Amino acid sequence: MKKHTITLTVNGEERDLIVSSNRTLLDALRDDLGFTDTKYGCGTGECGACTVLVDGTTSINGCLTLAATMDGKSITTAAGLARDGNLHPVQQAFIDNDAIQCGFCTPGMVLKAVSILDENPNPTEAEIRHGLEGSICRCTGYTKIVEAVQDASNRLSGVGE
Amino acid sequence: MTSRVMREFDLLLPESVSEAITLLATHKDKAAVLAGGTDLLVALKFDYDIDNVISLALVPGLNNLSFDTKLGLTIGARVTIADILRSDDVKKHYPALWQAAKVFATPQLRNTATVLGNILRASPAGDCSLALYALGGTLILENTSGRREVNLDDFWLSYGVTARKDDELAVSLQVPAPSAGQKSAFRRMTRVTEDLSKLNAAVNLQMDGDKCTGARVVMGCVGPTLVRLPKVEGLLTGAIITPNFLEGISNIVGSEIKPIDDIRSSAEYRLKVAGVLVKRVIKQALNEGNDQ
Repeated sequence: MKKHTITLTVNGEERDLIVSSNRTLLDALRDDLGFTDTKYGCGTGECGACTVLVDGTTSINGCLTLAATMDGKSITTAAGLARDGNLHPVQQAFIDNDAIQCGFCTPGMVLKAVSILDENPNPTEAEIRHGLEGSICRCTGYTKIVEAVQDASNRLSGVGE
Repeated sequence: MTSRVMREFDLLLPESVSEAITLLATHKDKAAVLAGGTDLLVALKFDYDIDNVISLALVPGLNNLSFDTKLGLTIGARVTIADILRSDDVKKHYPALWQAAKVFATPQLRNTATVLGNILRASPAGDCSLALYALGGTLILENTSGRREVNLDDFWLSYGVTARKDDELAVSLQVPAPSAGQKSAFRRMTRVTEDLSKLNAAVNLQMDGDKCTGARVVMGCVGPTLVRLPKVEGLLTGAIITPNFLEGISNIVGSEIKPIDDIRSSAEYRLKVAGVLVKRVIKQALNEGNDQ
């Protein structure tokens, strides 16, 4: 099987690696580079646990992406959202709104929330729910998650401060 | 194989269309083309075995999504569902396609999956494929001997089977320019929104005031391929569309489809609601801007 030499910028840091043709981006991030915040859930693009952001805030499923096709791309995982020791406002909103139960879906949910708010800083509840489709919480804590995204929207736009 | 472990294959990364079609000419049915990969990678984790995967990731010129009032809409092989949603031209001139893109799968999949990939998958449930079937389109296929055009009406041969030859690369889709009075819409039914459709319908009506002068009415999930409903199209053509008329249309839809029982729904249920879905999608087309 062919091997490919690629460079990924993960959470701002350039990383060179050699991947087999069939290596998914998810496995490259978790097993080759140690970004275990990106989760393996269903492996078929339905649950969203493997969500990462590409070149800004475009959300994709790491399990359905071949690492070798991502040469030169910039990837953000949940671990890359904090700045200078401070959690991203979306992460803090998830904590403050108890939007985490088992936590397995949380990295993907947080990244999806960042993506939603980047495109639309003041989404309605329906827009948040539509945007969160493709990320499944098996603890079924959706209400808290939606509230956390609303809270994060307020924090990012400075409401209530 | 499992959802975790993918089959072994060689990934080939051509850097031009000509390089890609040369690779296809060499490997023919021993190669699969990867654009978005949201169908192909799932298949490679389960029952699909192929020696070579030809990725279009590095091929320039396939991201073209452009609209021209005379030529219509051009959709390149790497144009994603999310690209369609971001296009004001699609929203304005091809509402059926925009509405299908809006409810297509999930945000992550919309960011990755391509419109042409949806067509090439030849699924009888494909949402964007169905909208394009209603709007009409011509697929541009290229191999080492040149280009040919295939009308979507002739493209889907049976479940998962298309008119594309093994050495051909689908480079773009051309959708005709909309005419004055053209109204289109897409609607679907699912259990939860990110499911594949259990039933979907799209229409493209040519209206002259209150009178319908031409109609394309198509349905998915009711046969091995997407299907047109010729009787419904015939009745619509020349008709003034009134509520009573729509009831009549609704009652004959069942005679034109052959749904089956599967995990998403039963044949009985699909037959029962298909007429209602067609009635509603016609109303939606006539009430522009009123999407799902």
